[in-house]
Amino acid sequence: MVKVERKLEEIMVESPDGIGASDDEWAAFRRIEVIDFPLTFDFRHSLGKLSRFFLELENQRLMGTCCPVCHSIWLPPRTLCPDHHAVNDWVELGGQGVLEAFSISSYALGADSADESVVLAYVKLHGAKTALLQQLRNVPRDKQIEPGMPVKVVWSKIDVQHPMQLFWFEPDI
Amino acid sequence: MERVVVLGGGISKFARQRLDGSPVDWIVEASMRALEDAGVDISAIDHSVVAYESEILARQVTMGQVVQDVLGLTPKPSIRVEAGGGTGGAALRTAYAYIRSGLCNSMLVVGADAVGRQVPASTVREVYALSGDVDFEMAAGGFFTAYYALMMDAHMRQYGTTKEQLARVSVKNHRNAISNPFACMPMAITIEDVLDSPVVVSPYRKFDCAILADGAAALVLATERWAREHSLAWKKRPHVYFIGSGSATERVRLGDRPQPYPGYAHFRAKQEAAKMAYKMADIKNPVAELDVAEVADTFTGVELQSYEALGFCDPGQSGPLLEEGVFDLGGDLPVNTSGGMIGQGAPPGGVGIAQGVEILSQLRGERPSTVQVKNARKGLMDIHGGTSSYAVVSIFSQED
Ligand SMILES: [Zn+2]
Repeated sequence: MVKVERKLEEIMVESPDGIGASDDEWAAFRRIEVIDFPLTFDFRHSLGKLSRFFLELENQRLMGTCCPVCHSIWLPPRTLCPDHHAVNDWVELGGQGVLEAFSISSYALGADSADESVVLAYVKLHGAKTALLQQLRNVPRDKQIEPGMPVKVVWSKIDVQHPMQLFWFEPDI
Repeated sequence: MERVVVLGGGISKFARQRLDGSPVDWIVEASMRALEDAGVDISAIDHSVVAYESEILARQVTMGQVVQDVLGLTPKPSIRVEAGGGTGGAALRTAYAYIRSGLCNSMLVVGADAVGRQVPASTVREVYALSGDVDFEMAAGGFFTAYYALMMDAHMRQYGTTKEQLARVSVKNHRNAISNPFACMPMAITIEDVLDSPVVVSPYRKFDCAILADGAAALVLATERWAREHSLAWKKRPHVYFIGSGSATERVRLGDRPQPYPGYAHFRAKQEAAKMAYKMADIKNPVAELDVAEVADTFTGVELQSYEALGFCDPGQSGPLLEEGVFDLGGDLPVNTSGGMIGQGAPPGGVGIAQGVEILSQLRGERPSTVQVKNARKGLMDIHGGTSSYAVVSIFSQED
């Protein structure tokens, strides 16, 4: 017999409702083949109009956007002010801020191992109206993570895959 | 304008893994059950609306068209809707609009998703993360369990909500699921069992989470005139009307939301959607006027935060009221008598519609005595996408 390379198994399944074969209206459809079905997606992904934010990270600069009407500084940057619908201007922010909220996970999206917990934190950098989500790292063991905690931006000294890996937050002690 | 009636409902088993078919197969099963329940011949149906969150998870683009073909509903029109976890609710609202506008007189409302074990959990997590902010937050390692955990952590700090109160939601919903033959996680567990389960993202533990499941649900909606003409069940069953629909949106990233309200701890879009639905249904005091509700329980804390957004209580009061038994069977407003997403399971496109199937059965008095709410006349459905970046609230009423 010829072989079907992607065939994983051939099984008889029961009615998921526990209906006996004699009363099962789908009895003639209970023999199932399961196959391996790989789907891979790899995109050439533009970071769009907000690309300058990601590009300036390579220069260790954090860029927000400023509304020409209300002068609110949005970080993450936004093309339009959501309150005034005006096209924003770019503006640079400093690297210090305050932690507002956080969670601690035993894994993160794209992380290889669960050896170390990952802290995701919303931080409002001084001058910004909104808070940016980023990882909080190198918290001393005796330090309790809490809203209100001062934090600072730390820049990567090693090569990274994605621009958002160029920086993270650490406690500003 | 003609009123919209809810004629019938059906569910195709919610389970951790269904190798017996595809989402299309499950939609066919749920549809056949809903049509039988409605006493309606499928050939009389004018239109369908098909709800599913993700082409990647379903391994099918344009599933709406495929469903129409497999059910033998061509050449009649069909529309697909998508709103993340709120997809099923968006389908209900769409059906309401199509029928009220006169675009059609009857609609088959179906929804499904395949997020059970056929899809690796890492893939589900990745696809779900694509439904939030991609370039900033997903790239920083963000994912939905972390977002929800962060929201609940903020709620606990602000109001003193406890992990025991969270656990109580899990106990209630798993217990309610015992009376639901279509549920995937019926369990009699204790608060201690929940607190002993492994931490996923603090404060959430394994038993605080909704269950990724396969499955489908279907409803038949129509005008009253169409129902009288085409439904064999119309004269025999209590009549259930679709009397309220509200929907609202919110900034996607939690850090972009205004403070102090909604801040990190509250669902503002849900509050707006509820206000809209209450106004339409002329409801002033939801806990007193509603008899039963299906409320989003992506995580145990989400159900508590939703009570507050839906106006069941003031912010911060959800935990204490739950402990008083207000939302238990026999309480003022029993919630998630189906088991909810925690007890019944959570295929995103199916959930919002399954909520409608549960409320319909409750309002007809057809649920088993263990979970039937006595003399239930008005029921609410609440579902959302993202971290309530998209919310839909629907209200059904039994009027005989
Ligand atoms: Zn502005």
